[in-house]
Amino acid sequence: MFNKKGQVRMLEAFLAVLVIFSASIISIKFYPPTNFDDEKMLSASGMQALIELDSNGTLGRFIDERNWPAIRENLKILLPVGVSYNVTIYDDAMHQINDSTIGNGLKGQKIVSVEYPCVSQSSECHFYVVRLQLALVG
Amino acid sequence: MPASSIDIILACSIMIMLASSAMAITSMTLTPYLNELSHNNDVERYEHLAKYILLNPGTPSNWGSDPEIVPNSFGLAFANSPHPYQLDIDKVSRLNDENAYSLTYLQVLEAFGVRDVGLRMEIKPLFDLSVDLVSNSTEGNETTYTFDVVTRKSELPISAQLSCYVISRDYVDNVVSSTSSSGNGSVSVTVPNLANGTALLVSFARVETQIVTFNVYPFSHNSSTTPEPNGTFMRLSPLNYTLNVSFSYPDEQVLRAQVFTYNYTFEMTQTAGDNQTAEYSVPHLLDASPMIMAITGVNASSIFAEWVSYPQLPIEIGADLSDLGAAAKVVPLTYIVTINSALYEFTVKFVGSR
Repeated sequence: MFNKKGQVRMLEAFLAVLVIFSASIISIKFYPPTNFDDEKMLSASGMQALIELDSNGTLGRFIDERNWPAIRENLKILLPVGVSYNVTIYDDAMHQINDSTIGNGLKGQKIVSVEYPCVSQSSECHFYVVRLQLALVG
Repeated sequence: MPASSIDIILACSIMIMLASSAMAITSMTLTPYLNELSHNNDVERYEHLAKYILLNPGTPSNWGSDPEIVPNSFGLAFANSPHPYQLDIDKVSRLNDENAYSLTYLQVLEAFGVRDVGLRMEIKPLFDLSVDLVSNSTEGNETTYTFDVVTRKSELPISAQLSCYVISRDYVDNVVSSTSSSGNGSVSVTVPNLANGTALLVSFARVETQIVTFNVYPFSHNSSTTPEPNGTFMRLSPLNYTLNVSFSYPDEQVLRAQVFTYNYTFEMTQTAGDNQTAEYSVPHLLDASPMIMAITGVNASSIFAEWVSYPQLPIEIGADLSDLGAAAKVVPLTYIVTINSALYEFTVKFVGSR
């Protein structure tokens, strides 16, 4: 009852549908990641926290005094809840100067990093680079 | 019918079925992505709108300090501020519905001028300070009250310096203390028994010079009456460094009007008034701290104490987001803002279609 022509046409139709469907699925895979906004918000929050902490010279003073716990306490308040972070501070020769961890244990799938140039307002002008790494917990 | 025709009809039917199924599945799979694509710039747009509110003083730029003015365009920034995200203390205070000169949400929305989004704004200190009276003991002519103090941000303990004031009738005193790394502390104040009535413990907690929060705890001192809710005896509306007082009862008498910040306290002087209203001049204090204005007074036999903060916080104004349907999309954005040199948390939630 069935001849070979019909079977080939069925095979053709099946393959055509398979090709179209595969193309659609592959195009979805290339769609940009949906947590892009989270990363942008995270880096904006981090940068704003550093700017506000430095607005009256507080951040520079803390670094001059090597007061790492104070930086940790202030960032704990200034950063949103549910954000883990780690701070690394470099001098003008890009040598790390904080000898203890400043942060709450950086953990998260996506880590963003912001760098903030900071100048202390003491009688001797010191230049620092503050690198703040942030991640959403959970 | 020849066998080849049946083959063709069968092949065509199967092809149509497969193609239709594939289109349906593809459509279902792609719909959320396509929707997301059409709203892909929503968050970026809302960010720009939030920054417009925070970086723009509005029109006219002095709309905050003049109670007669309703802004044509909405913005909360301090006019000609050298520092970004610095907000005007009066514009912020006019968002509080307890202020006699507050804007309604409709006025805010009209001045904002963006028709397709709703918004809700919240401003509060960066961390919380809670106070609880745990004991009191009377010795001679004085009573000592001990309060437990807790400083936290969400559930995270915060170590802070405390500056607390007690005001009862015309008696004012200041004590300093601190909370430990667990966020717990204790404050004791002593009040003369003659200064009986409703008393207030005005507390400020500070982590760094700019990070300050406050709490006002009313308690009954040497009196059997429990404190009435704030606002029972008078409505206090600070604006343009003037405290406007509206009396709730005709025969009220003010005993003392005092302003407190973390470092300073001053008695305010009355500049105008009659038997219904009064005005007090508020000093321009440079302390990086919210101001708490407290008034003690007498109504018949009741000794009362009323208070208000300047900026008048906390603020919650805008759309009610509790009963939103699935078609609505809420985007919350949080910023750190400066008001009179102290830092606060500003959250704006935009509501649009999904």
